[in-house]
Amino acid sequence: PTGKWTNKERVLIFSSRGINFRTRHLMQDLRTMMPHAKADTKMDRKDKLFVINEVCEIKNCNKCLYFEAKKKQDLYMWISNSPHGPSAKFLVQNIHTLAELKLTGNCLKGSRPLLSFDPKFDKEPHYALLKELFIQTFSTPRYHPKSQPFVDHVFTFTIADNRIWFRNYQIIEEDGSLVEIGPRFVLNLMKIFQGSFGGPTLYENPDFRSPNMHRREMRLAAAAKVREKQMVKEMQKGKKTSAKEDLESDVTADVFLTPAEEKPADIQTEAPEPKVVKKKQKAFKRQRMQMLSLHRNQYST
Amino acid sequence: HFYLYEKVNIIHLHFIAQLQEAFAAGLLKPGMNVLVDKPKKLVNNVEGLKQCLADFRKDLPWVERLDLTNLPAANIISQAEEKASAPAAGELDADDDFQREMFFYRQAQATILEAMPLLNRHSIATKRPEDYFAEMAKSDQHMQKIRKKLISKQMIMERSEKAKKLREQRKFGKKVQIEVIQKRQQEKKAMMSAVKKYQKGMTDKLEFLEGDQKMNKESSQGSKKAVNKKGPSAKRKYKDQKFGFGGKKSGKKWNTKESYNDVSGFRAKIAHGKGGKKGKGGKQNKRPGKSVRKKMKNRS
Repeated sequence: PTGKWTNKERVLIFSSRGINFRTRHLMQDLRTMMPHAKADTKMDRKDKLFVINEVCEIKNCNKCLYFEAKKKQDLYMWISNSPHGPSAKFLVQNIHTLAELKLTGNCLKGSRPLLSFDPKFDKEPHYALLKELFIQTFSTPRYHPKSQPFVDHVFTFTIADNRIWFRNYQIIEEDGSLVEIGPRFVLNLMKIFQGSFGGPTLYENPDFRSPNMHRREMRLAAAAKVREKQMVKEMQKGKKTSAKEDLESDVTADVFLTPAEEKPADIQTEAPEPKVVKKKQKAFKRQRMQMLSLHRNQYST
Repeated sequence: HFYLYEKVNIIHLHFIAQLQEAFAAGLLKPGMNVLVDKPKKLVNNVEGLKQCLADFRKDLPWVERLDLTNLPAANIISQAEEKASAPAAGELDADDDFQREMFFYRQAQATILEAMPLLNRHSIATKRPEDYFAEMAKSDQHMQKIRKKLISKQMIMERSEKAKKLREQRKFGKKVQIEVIQKRQQEKKAMMSAVKKYQKGMTDKLEFLEGDQKMNKESSQGSKKAVNKKGPSAKRKYKDQKFGFGGKKSGKKWNTKESYNDVSGFRAKIAHGKGGKKGKGGKQNKRPGKSVRKKMKNRS
């Protein structure tokens, strides 16, 4: 059954220069998943960010997902409602793309997703704003010409460890058995702005640590450890080679002195007399036997 | 380059001027004056956020958005095992990979279970009919690759299982084989000793010849108990005590301090040569010497 496409949402997905293959594949995957998405060429980072609003207007898009890569290491994602705002900047981590062999699910290209949110999104005002942004950006409008009428996959947004975790599952059975399709990533919120790519800051994440700071801290910690070890070694060396103090008196000198009574010195001038040895003169066995027999003979007769 | 130097200079001068002013006003105290950063204040404009949300929100019917907010479905597995590991959403440990992914999975499941009746009501289908062919997000080629990988993983597991089983069987078979050989050796020994006894005239019964047949009948019944009545022999016991059970261990020192100082085996009489033989009756059947045997042979 066809109907009129009324919810005119269009998302512009593009990136800056200097992205790596993983980011590029992530962008392509998002474009595959969202039939209401449009692509654009890479933007030079020299230009200011509000230029993006103009690009969106040219392309007739009212939402934008802009991926910015810095130092060839860190990936930031801007999500924005063009031209009036609001917008948010995230640090993206743990990217896994559709092409990974461990993500075995599949879905129709352009099918509409179910969106699943953690109840935590309703508890804080900044999360509530983000939730609205996500809903408007990621849900495929009904009766979009490139969309399929079936609902066969679900996007989940969960908050854990002060980050937003994104997963995409394929619905196999109506009782709820799922397989992951991909892509998957983790968003670490940095700031929310009132305008699109600018404007007053509405929210700053207190738990956010920039990746540079993080790397610096690791390096400093490692350096501190090494320095500490060296210091300990030097101290031990110093102890060994330092001159030990000479003891004047031996503390243990009196340990074995046992006071005893003085015996009178007995000096013998003459040699003692030889001892008289009383030796029993025992006759040899034969003689003894003879004597015994003699004795017996004597008394027998 | 020159311009920058000037600019820095001017800033310095300005700073110094400020210090001079403060000093004149009596604000500066003698001693080190260190610049302290103001503690960083993070923006959390709750009112602004709410206002922005109110402006930005689009009141679309649910059919357009298809969004749901829910906690994960009950964990059937942990309930079955009665594990006390049912964390509330606030305690989800992001580092425990399995738990975390299960949490996400169950959240998605709960969404689906809740959404199915809603979708049916709006007559949105979730099942693709069999003859509906359309482009998929992942190409067929890719899905083939995935299938091959899964199959290869399964085969590897099966192979390792088979190898394990074979190893176990071989060990068991070897054990059985050893037992059978030992039993045969024991029987042979018994037979030989019986024969010798008869030869030497100690027993004149020839029952040992039939003994095998009788033994076979009795063996299953109870003679197994009588076989090892005395246990290991005295010689075996002595060796066990001296060298440890399981036989002499290699590399064990012989002349250790303990063994050298151990004088328990010293018999004074024997050492001084006074012990002598155990008296008469040491051996009953003393074998005659070589010359006597020769004479006997020549005589017979």
